Amino acid sequence: MVNAYVDLIRIRFMMMLAYRVNYYSGIVIYALNIGAYYFLWKAIYGSSESLGGMSVTQMTTYVAISWMARAFYFNNLDREIANEIRDGSVAVQFIRPYNYLIVKMMQGFGEGLFRLFLFSVPGMIVASLLFPVVLPSNPGVWAVFLVMLLFSFLINSQINILTGLLAFFVENNEGMMRMKRVAVDLFSGLIIPVSLFPAAMSAVLEWLPFQAITYLPGSVFTGRVTGAAVYQAFAVQVVWFLILIVPIWWMWRRARSRLFVQGG
Amino acid sequence: MTDATNAINVQRLRKEFRVQKSREGLKGALRDLFNREYTTVRAVKDISFTIPKGEICGYIGENGAGKSTTIKMLTGILVPTSGEIEVNGFVPYKDRERFVRRIGVVFGQRSQLWWDIGVIESFRLLRKVYRVPEKEFKLRLDELTERLQLQDLLNRPVRKLSLGQRMRCELAASLLHNPDILFLDEPTIGLDIVVKTEIREFLKSMNRRYGTTVLLTTHDLQDIEALCSRVIMLDDGNIIYDGSLDELKTKWGKGRELSFRLHEPIPLNRLEQLTEGLGVTWTKENELTAKVWVPFDAAPVSAVLSRVVGAVEVGDVSILEPNTDDIVREIYKAGSAASPAETRGTDGASGNAGGGSTGGDGENHASEAKSGEDADRAPVTAQGAGKHG
Amino acid sequence: MFYASLFIEYFKDYLKRRLTYRSDFWVEVLTDLMFQGMNLVFILVVFLHTPLLGGWSQEQVVFIYGYFMVPAGIFGCFFNLWNFTERYIVKGEMDRILTRPAYNLWQLMLENLDPASLSGSIVGLIIMGYAGAQLGLTLAWYDPLLFVLFTLGAIAIYGGVYISLTSVSFFSDAPTGILPLMWNIQNYGRYPVNIYNKPIKLFLTFVAPFAFVGFYPAAYFLDRANWGWVALCTPVMGAVFLTIGLSLWNYGVKKYRGAGS
Repeated sequence: MVNAYVDLIRIRFMMMLAYRVNYYSGIVIYALNIGAYYFLWKAIYGSSESLGGMSVTQMTTYVAISWMARAFYFNNLDREIANEIRDGSVAVQFIRPYNYLIVKMMQGFGEGLFRLFLFSVPGMIVASLLFPVVLPSNPGVWAVFLVMLLFSFLINSQINILTGLLAFFVENNEGMMRMKRVAVDLFSGLIIPVSLFPAAMSAVLEWLPFQAITYLPGSVFTGRVTGAAVYQAFAVQVVWFLILIVPIWWMWRRARSRLFVQGG
Repeated sequence: MTDATNAINVQRLRKEFRVQKSREGLKGALRDLFNREYTTVRAVKDISFTIPKGEICGYIGENGAGKSTTIKMLTGILVPTSGEIEVNGFVPYKDRERFVRRIGVVFGQRSQLWWDIGVIESFRLLRKVYRVPEKEFKLRLDELTERLQLQDLLNRPVRKLSLGQRMRCELAASLLHNPDILFLDEPTIGLDIVVKTEIREFLKSMNRRYGTTVLLTTHDLQDIEALCSRVIMLDDGNIIYDGSLDELKTKWGKGRELSFRLHEPIPLNRLEQLTEGLGVTWTKENELTAKVWVPFDAAPVSAVLSRVVGAVEVGDVSILEPNTDDIVREIYKAGSAASPAETRGTDGASGNAGGGSTGGDGENHASEAKSGEDADRAPVTAQGAGKHG
Repeated sequence: MFYASLFIEYFKDYLKRRLTYRSDFWVEVLTDLMFQGMNLVFILVVFLHTPLLGGWSQEQVVFIYGYFMVPAGIFGCFFNLWNFTERYIVKGEMDRILTRPAYNLWQLMLENLDPASLSGSIVGLIIMGYAGAQLGLTLAWYDPLLFVLFTLGAIAIYGGVYISLTSVSFFSDAPTGILPLMWNIQNYGRYPVNIYNKPIKLFLTFVAPFAFVGFYPAAYFLDRANWGWVALCTPVMGAVFLTIGLSLWNYGVKKYRGAGS
């Protein structure tokens, strides 16, 4: 059975490979986004030395790595799940002796691996050529960052699964999915590093899982946090990962019983 | 408490749904926003039947009669409101994971193969999912490929197959793990006659060789004729007939029609004279062809034959059996199979049970694409990334 | 008149469908605004830390952003063919369109109307009004007319660009991902163009003239002396690009018809 799950990763990877053309334009799109924010931040910094604890080059690096991380952890699991629920193919999945959620996670992971190797890595290379990005010199930082990146993926996927599962209960959760997207992009630190938010807001954001997706890993990568604080940041991610398992499990049970009783 | 001889055992099975009532008009729509009203719909009304192992059973009913609901309950994806249900020794919804390992399901209108990858990839994945040993898998695969002629299809992505080709692959997929029971939900819908025949032959031979029990829901009565020794008819949640097909025909068929090809034109009243007293009716199709309707409760066909053949020169005789279509129609009209219809009138009304309509498509969510996915490869294509990715 | 009545029919149909998913409409309005809001939040937060962005003050940048939302909202209401290749070419719906007695592009637009998008325009106007008041902008009598002209020009630019790109579907059916690409480039036009470097500025002015859908016209109202003449090119660019777009589209349809499906 584990074999089968692993196979799903491979299959999804291959499927992404088939859509080759889009992958090129994907890199360009991400580069464009980095570019836009690069210019904006440059103009914003003007002659300031540092904002939110980061220098201009750190900010540039932050922007680059944040977008490239997004290229990796982003997936459409929420939409896929919602669609499968809406068109009823979820029922078909229950004919099979495996766990639907794990299947979706594996598919997401397959997609993620594809994105990592064919989007993020080349994209990061392109970005560091185009913009004054500074990569960490300490291999230890790289190591921690990569692990944190994995958790970014996990947490983002968890949020996606939760949003997707809402389709079981709400007739049309399109709006919620879009709101989630906004929330993730804005509150995770992708658009603005959390440290730059007004104090009131950043206090609230520290209690939400979103910052664990972009801001925390980004901070580690750019060297904004160093030493012990790095492990603290990582710990926050782990905690959120564990916490999010609860609502997923709960929703899944409710969703299943609803499917089994109401026919979905 | 496993039943050794029965594959499926259903007793007083009932399923009720809570359905939202939409109120009329704009005012109603507004009120619906705040205060929803529900009604209970009983889709399956305390039905009972048993299907012994190795049988091919047909399950027919109009749309909305409760067919899919029953199948869903039998396959464990819907929990009955009340009643007992036992399939292959399991209670489907209780032991789902272990239960589904031993069954195969084909949905005519939904694919269970992974959309974007080659057929053989799907098969291989299924092998792992169902934990079929490699050797056994190879044997099955070869056999199925042979019987269903899948050689050219194996390496093609599922989305590039025609409906008929896809159906054959779906059938193969559902049998790779040699299930004890095979559930087919409208498998021949939308297929042309050649493919349908192939599939029917295939199913029969599978059943013969492996003793696979088959439950087949369909609108196509030819499927039933070709495959099923037994028929269960469902109407509005109730079983209105449960028995063999032959019995159905004999009980409900009104009679038989004999068609004579004559060597020379013979006037109608001469023919009527010959068979006087037998209670049959003659019609002339053209100068040289005459048909006689022999009701079952009239004289036997042999009597008619002997009277006619002895007296007149006959070139050819054919006997037309009762038409299942007509029979089924009659039963539905009567609402029950308890007794043949009183009135033997011709059914001009065509109300046929054919070709179910597929579930509608619904909204075009065009707007989903434009926003957040900006930084992404593509607006999610519903076809591509979606289906069982 | 024919098209007007067609429009009304489609609109009624849209309303009926929307009423079945009642909450949907408002949710869409809300989320559309949230997306826009996200960028506004960016502007607001950023100005907490700096007085100027490329030489422009906060109110000015907000004004530009508000202006950007107006043609974007109107365009978004009419043009929603993001999945065109998938829905119309692959599934063959285009054939249905072509057998009807109305210009195909009109039909496509009417079928995919998204009035919720207009909320963006309304909010944009409000933002402009608010920022403008803060800045103490003075308006000449002809300014509202110019505003309409600029907006129409911007919509024409959007139309030209996106119709051209969508018509690519007629020539090749590989999913290109070029539409999301362009959408991202469009976002550059939200901000003062002078913060970008020369090549990008040129690109945004002549190749993918998104500088004209937000910045240049807005700059006209903010700083007439320096930016006025550039802004006046907006309708010209609009006309040019729309013509290119429509020609490409019609050519594409002809090809589609000729080659069958």
